[in-house]
Amino acid sequence: MLRDPVAMQTHFVAPAIFDADLIARHDVAGPRYTSYPTAPHLDARFGESDYARIARSSNEDPIPRRLSIYVHVPFCTSPCFYCGCTRIITRDRAKADGYLQRLYREIELTAPLFDRDRTVIQLHFGGGTPNFLDIAQMRDLVESLDQHFSLSRHAEREFGIEIDPRFADAAYVSALADLGFNRISVGIQDFDPAVQAAVNRHQGIAETAEVLEAARASAFRSTSVDLIYGLPCQTISGFTRTLDEVIALRPDRVAAYSYAHLPETFKAQRQLDASQLPDAATKLALLGLCVEKLTLAGYRYVGMDHFALPDDELVLAQQQASLQRNFQGYSTHAECDLLGLGMSAISKIGNSYSQNAKDLIGYFGALDYGRLPLQRGLHLSNDDLIRRDAIGQLMCHGLLELRPFEARHGIDFHNYFATEWQRLGDLETDGLVVRDADSIRVTARGRFLLRLVAMVFDAYLSRPDDAPVRYSRTI
Amino acid sequence: MIVNRAAFSMPTPYAEASALTTAHPPTGKPAPNNPIADDGDALHFCATCTFGQVCMPNGYDKSALRALHCLVEHIGPFPSGHHVFRSHDPFTAIYSVRAGMVKTSVVDDLGREQILGFFLPGEIIGLNAIYTERYPCNAIALDTIALCRFSFPAMVTLATRLPGLQEQLFRLMSKDIVKATLLAGDFSADERVAAFLLDLADRYAARGFSATRFRLSMPRADIANYLRLAAETVSRVLRRLQDQALLRIEGREVHLLQVDAMRHLARCVLHR
Repeated sequence: MLRDPVAMQTHFVAPAIFDADLIARHDVAGPRYTSYPTAPHLDARFGESDYARIARSSNEDPIPRRLSIYVHVPFCTSPCFYCGCTRIITRDRAKADGYLQRLYREIELTAPLFDRDRTVIQLHFGGGTPNFLDIAQMRDLVESLDQHFSLSRHAEREFGIEIDPRFADAAYVSALADLGFNRISVGIQDFDPAVQAAVNRHQGIAETAEVLEAARASAFRSTSVDLIYGLPCQTISGFTRTLDEVIALRPDRVAAYSYAHLPETFKAQRQLDASQLPDAATKLALLGLCVEKLTLAGYRYVGMDHFALPDDELVLAQQQASLQRNFQGYSTHAECDLLGLGMSAISKIGNSYSQNAKDLIGYFGALDYGRLPLQRGLHLSNDDLIRRDAIGQLMCHGLLELRPFEARHGIDFHNYFATEWQRLGDLETDGLVVRDADSIRVTARGRFLLRLVAMVFDAYLSRPDDAPVRYSRTI
Repeated sequence: MIVNRAAFSMPTPYAEASALTTAHPPTGKPAPNNPIADDGDALHFCATCTFGQVCMPNGYDKSALRALHCLVEHIGPFPSGHHVFRSHDPFTAIYSVRAGMVKTSVVDDLGREQILGFFLPGEIIGLNAIYTERYPCNAIALDTIALCRFSFPAMVTLATRLPGLQEQLFRLMSKDIVKATLLAGDFSADERVAAFLLDLADRYAARGFSATRFRLSMPRADIANYLRLAAETVSRVLRRLQDQALLRIEGREVHLLQVDAMRHLARCVLHR
């Protein structure tokens, strides 16, 4: 699959238009396409030997892809009631030691599958709460990774970590910089005390600012904050203040996620008082407020919940049409093979996805028997690869150029996607996309409904024998 | 029996870069980066077949060969890793590659593999067994392959009957020898890698395939083995050539961007 960078174009140069009526009319639950096929379609028949075979064959390219490593730290000291992540609530710091022991074993088992000249250009610690680990534990973990893999020493490396500022101070952040971290992502959600009480997350502006300032002072290259709209007790006036406070902190990136209330799926959410959730109109207004205030403050809408300052790498990558979708949202480095380490972590190696056991028993059990803790996975079919490319182009650049796409995959687009082309016609009538003989473009209004456009190409959504899978909505 | 071969279009696995955006490859066919020589039938050789190019001008099509107890049949597809023949197997046939890539190699007493060569569609394997009557090496599929099998109970006899065949056999075999010594000199890693790619490019071009875009089906360890370099070195050189915009590599695909500059780099290997 040769791609011609000159021929690749991006369409998302003009700003997105927030059209509340259009969004309200079209809002449906759907995947966020951080992968395709999406995680629920991974298969339990995929095992350790599949992973090992695919990993070894990934060494065989003329220039093997560089590596991106994700490390999952599942522990949190206190439960946030909105959380849909795989995490374990504990105040027992010693729990981390047992987990780290298994993580080291997983590193020892995984690393030999990958040739040593494949440098790790990207490292991301997510959770849970990565800063559940103290600095000594962090140092040991990074050293173990460095010993078994070839961590890049190059300035372009992206070593990121998610931080809960309630449990980190300036000294901790500067120690992380010494370990090589250069990107930080800080959870905020909402500064409104009423909302914080309702979701059980009390977090001051000062402690948040301390972490972000320490990050800048210790030469972190990029700072990012997470917000959530649609939380209980959220109001326009409260969220306006939160956005003003966030803008004053001036992070390089802002992610504003839609709260998906799925208490049957996420146990933590059962503790939320559903009667306090904002109605659909308010939730939509909260998103509109995000767009308006962040845009006025100079942020660009990248797509799917993500905003960034114009000089941020995400915006530059989008302008150069090199933006990629990954599990953290968007990325500039998707030509890597992604190794997920830790409980529930997802890997993307070659044309495969695979996921580790989602509980400690399964994760510890496999590793204690000297096996990789894989629980399920998927070897992408040719059809999966074709559709993943289409979805990726639309999610990242809002543009699918049909002739290069046909050349990449050896297909006739109209023949292959006859049904999809018709369904796109409906979206075109509604103003979400425009089509011509050579391209499909997402309109400025359609950018907030990207997942709807992507869903047209999702072959797994229309299978009647599928177990029902629950997805979030924009509103 | 001889038909006008000009009516057959040559397979063009890659359209030229400019045409790539307008080409409409037929649905259901393999991606256009997969050269296949498959225009032959029960009577006619594929256009790219080296062997056919000797027989046809001499008035021998497949049925004429059959009369001489020479059976020509299309076999395959075979998956990656399939052994076409093994070292020391009795010689029964030579094979023309129709699709995919085949490597030949020998394994020493310590189990170390040494790669002798890579064979592309239209090229012939097994020639080095004709006079010893046993295959002196392994031939292994590097991806999904299809072959044309020429079974000759007495290849040498046939060669005496067919004017030009013997000459062609010698020519093919001496080409093999040149190839084997091509990289034996004291060349730098850059020179070796560049010469290796240009050699493949020229061989693809000689059979009507794209000389600037092709697939390296062999794992990098095999390239390294063949060039007597470390695998990391092969990748490092390729990355450097890519940084210099001489070529672009994506997955297993190579796109030569500045062939002249590559040729200049490899001139000492190529012009001996």
